[in-house]
Amino acid sequence: MRKKVKRSLIVLCIGMISTALLLSGCSGSGKTSGGGSAAESSGDDTKPITLSVFMDAPGQQPTADNKIYKLIKEKTGVSLNMEFLVGDLQQKLGVMIAGGDYPDLISGNDKLINAGAYIPLEDLIEKYAPNLKKHYAEVWNQMKDPKDGHIYVLPSYGVYTGSVHDTTYQGPGFYLQKDVLKEMGYPTPKTLEEYFDIIAKYKAKHPDMIGFETLNFDWRVFPLQNAPEHLSGHPNDGGVIVDNNKAQIFADKDIAKTYYKKLNEVNAQGLLDKEAFVQNYDQYLAKIASGRVIGMFDQHWNFQDGENSLISQGKIGSTYVGFPLMYPGAKEYYRDRGGLNLNRGFGISVKAKDPVRIIKFMDALMTEDWQKTLQWGIKGEDYEVKEDGTFYRTPEQRKNADNNTWKLANKADSFFGYMPKMQGSYSDGNATDPGTQPQEFYDSLKPYDQEILKAYNHKTWAEFFKEPGPNPVYFPAYTIILEDGSAAQLASTKLNDLSVKYLPKAIMASPSEFDSVWQDYVNQIHKLDIKAYEDRMNEQIQWRIENWSSK
Amino acid sequence: MSEIVLTGEVKSKKKKKRVDPEIGVSLSWKTLKAQKQLIFMSVPIAIYLIIFSYVPVWGWLMAFQNYRPALSFWKQDWVGLQQFRFLFQDDAFLGVLRNTIAMSFINLVLGFVTAIALALLLNEIKVRFFKRTVQTISYLPHFLSWVIAAGIVATSLSVDDGIVNTVLMKLHLIDQPVMWLSKGHYFWGIVGLSNVWKEVGWNTIIYLAAITSIDPSLYEAASIDGAGRFHKMRYVTLPGIKSTFIILLIMNIGHILDAGFEVQYLLGNGLVVDWSQTIDIFVLKYGISMGNYSLATAAGIFKTIVSVILVFIANSIAKRLGEERLV
Repeated sequence: MRKKVKRSLIVLCIGMISTALLLSGCSGSGKTSGGGSAAESSGDDTKPITLSVFMDAPGQQPTADNKIYKLIKEKTGVSLNMEFLVGDLQQKLGVMIAGGDYPDLISGNDKLINAGAYIPLEDLIEKYAPNLKKHYAEVWNQMKDPKDGHIYVLPSYGVYTGSVHDTTYQGPGFYLQKDVLKEMGYPTPKTLEEYFDIIAKYKAKHPDMIGFETLNFDWRVFPLQNAPEHLSGHPNDGGVIVDNNKAQIFADKDIAKTYYKKLNEVNAQGLLDKEAFVQNYDQYLAKIASGRVIGMFDQHWNFQDGENSLISQGKIGSTYVGFPLMYPGAKEYYRDRGGLNLNRGFGISVKAKDPVRIIKFMDALMTEDWQKTLQWGIKGEDYEVKEDGTFYRTPEQRKNADNNTWKLANKADSFFGYMPKMQGSYSDGNATDPGTQPQEFYDSLKPYDQEILKAYNHKTWAEFFKEPGPNPVYFPAYTIILEDGSAAQLASTKLNDLSVKYLPKAIMASPSEFDSVWQDYVNQIHKLDIKAYEDRMNEQIQWRIENWSSK
Repeated sequence: MSEIVLTGEVKSKKKKKRVDPEIGVSLSWKTLKAQKQLIFMSVPIAIYLIIFSYVPVWGWLMAFQNYRPALSFWKQDWVGLQQFRFLFQDDAFLGVLRNTIAMSFINLVLGFVTAIALALLLNEIKVRFFKRTVQTISYLPHFLSWVIAAGIVATSLSVDDGIVNTVLMKLHLIDQPVMWLSKGHYFWGIVGLSNVWKEVGWNTIIYLAAITSIDPSLYEAASIDGAGRFHKMRYVTLPGIKSTFIILLIMNIGHILDAGFEVQYLLGNGLVVDWSQTIDIFVLKYGISMGNYSLATAAGIFKTIVSVILVFIANSIAKRLGEERLV
């Protein structure tokens, strides 16, 4: 008898637990329906409305009395109910898609586009949003989804107006430590010879330093593989160089051979880090953070973590300045204008009750006045204006702008990051934001950095590189998607495998053997179906030129 | 997975055979009813096995298709044995197969020898505190992920102030630091030793447990017969753990094509790629990251079939030698 009671108790418990589970799984549905009838109500543009917003990155809620959001509410009637990502994005998206429970504005995402979470925006923009239409005119066709031709997401970065002032430089270059430059009398190397000469001389004085560093690890192989395209005057197109809209690989060409032959010599001189090809990314960063590396070829963002560590140790002298080295006669093209960040930024969801109102709201914020408020802040409080109309900040205001607590109450950064925005400069000549206003940037630098810039007669790090013109329509070619399982993809993967294997071999070989290793490498490349790869690139470049060119 | 499935099933069958004649009833509703608690207890396991070990076998069909995730099953493109042909005709694959088997074999041999040796030695230590300390220290690395472990290995082998080079230099065994990780023919050894360092302590646990189950009277009898320490190890302890050893060996032989993935991926580099790539890395590179799930499946099938065959061979050898066995 007792046994039976016990057993039925257990059964009861299990029953209750499973029911509870079921119920908790179901809760949350049901409340979303209803209220969808007010679809096209957009008569009053300043009537108070609350928009729900989801952003796909973790963030902090602004304070309740944040002055910018308050101003937005006053002027446009819109208050924002923001949700930041907590936990794993893919999981969150999965739940959102499965439940069809979307907020009004969602940050862009391929998965959501495929799930049909966004409404097409092109008609709404044509009808109600003249400012957005003007802003995106140049890139209108690029924004269209390649599959169905609709625009679902408004790119948040990559649309430029006026002259573009880059201040920092995140791109590729041959980097040298600031201390090295200072000690060697501020040289400006222009060729590989001059560059390695500086390294050799400096290392002779400081034998403990590592001369030249590179990286050949996992997917971060560009420090080793990309230098030839830049040396020969091409922008960063990944594994190909594009001349007159025609792409070809360069791994087997003379521009590559010249560079790696030089590295081979440099290695024989003992200037190349012995472990360069054996190390992983963490070891690479650790070496940079130790301040022992004289120079390397890399893209700045790739070693930024190491540099950040140097800055927090107060070793500003061990941070780096990039130089655009060229082969004789080549025309410089290191720096490029950042491309349009497609499918990032906001899209309006299918669950939005009043899309017209939302697009009008986004359009309203695209005026220069609003952009100044959103990017610089409020005049007299967050920035000042000189008599000639130039914007600047006082040291106090600069300090505020670095203070996260202050920003939560006085900036709308997290939301604005996803909004369409002006980049470059306003019609009055000021840069669109304080970070790209040259004088403002210079004044906010550390004294040591100012000293270096002064010695080179520059105001920003970007000025070490030539100002780029507008990007070619197809640029950058490395975003071209090689279809899964295609011959082009296979060739590209195998080419990369060969480079990963043979380049270290060639560089580490004794100089007399370099040519034979190189020949071996080239022969192996020619066994691959390179034509399939190049054909795919060219076909897509042509497609982009046809479909992306603005009319 | 598959060999574990086999064990479960077969063991239960054995039991039934033994039980049935004794009680004198054949498998019937009555027996089922009599054992219903047992049956209920095994149901979740059976469901688990069906869901996670049998249902996925359906996915093997992918190996004969040019599988595209977006298409329904009926719209897939059937390609017969093309994926297998690609696999076996690729020059790289044979090298990869060689590396996998070689590293696995090294791991297997080193793993068993070191674990048993350490277990024997630990067993001889009578000071509990010291024994425990050694055990804890030796199995601590087991809990590190390979990402961290590989970082430690790479740093120790570094030419700049790596501990291995420093010690060898101080002992005057080498004149200048050796770039251990850039020489292909060192790679297998490095992987083998790293595995030993990481897993030896953990692997001894099972042998130590087996040793404790040896009847102490055997040791006493041996002492009376005049056996010393080494004789006791040789004639009592080792034979006592032989059956454990054979079972583990059979199980491990099934994994001979799983040489691992993380170590080789993390320690490998362009210079040693001809020695470091394993099947799993090859599959990741040419299968999964290129969206070619069919190729990955084909490689998986190949591995499973080889594993099953090897387990049966090892098992029948054990049977012939009259040893404890799995199936």
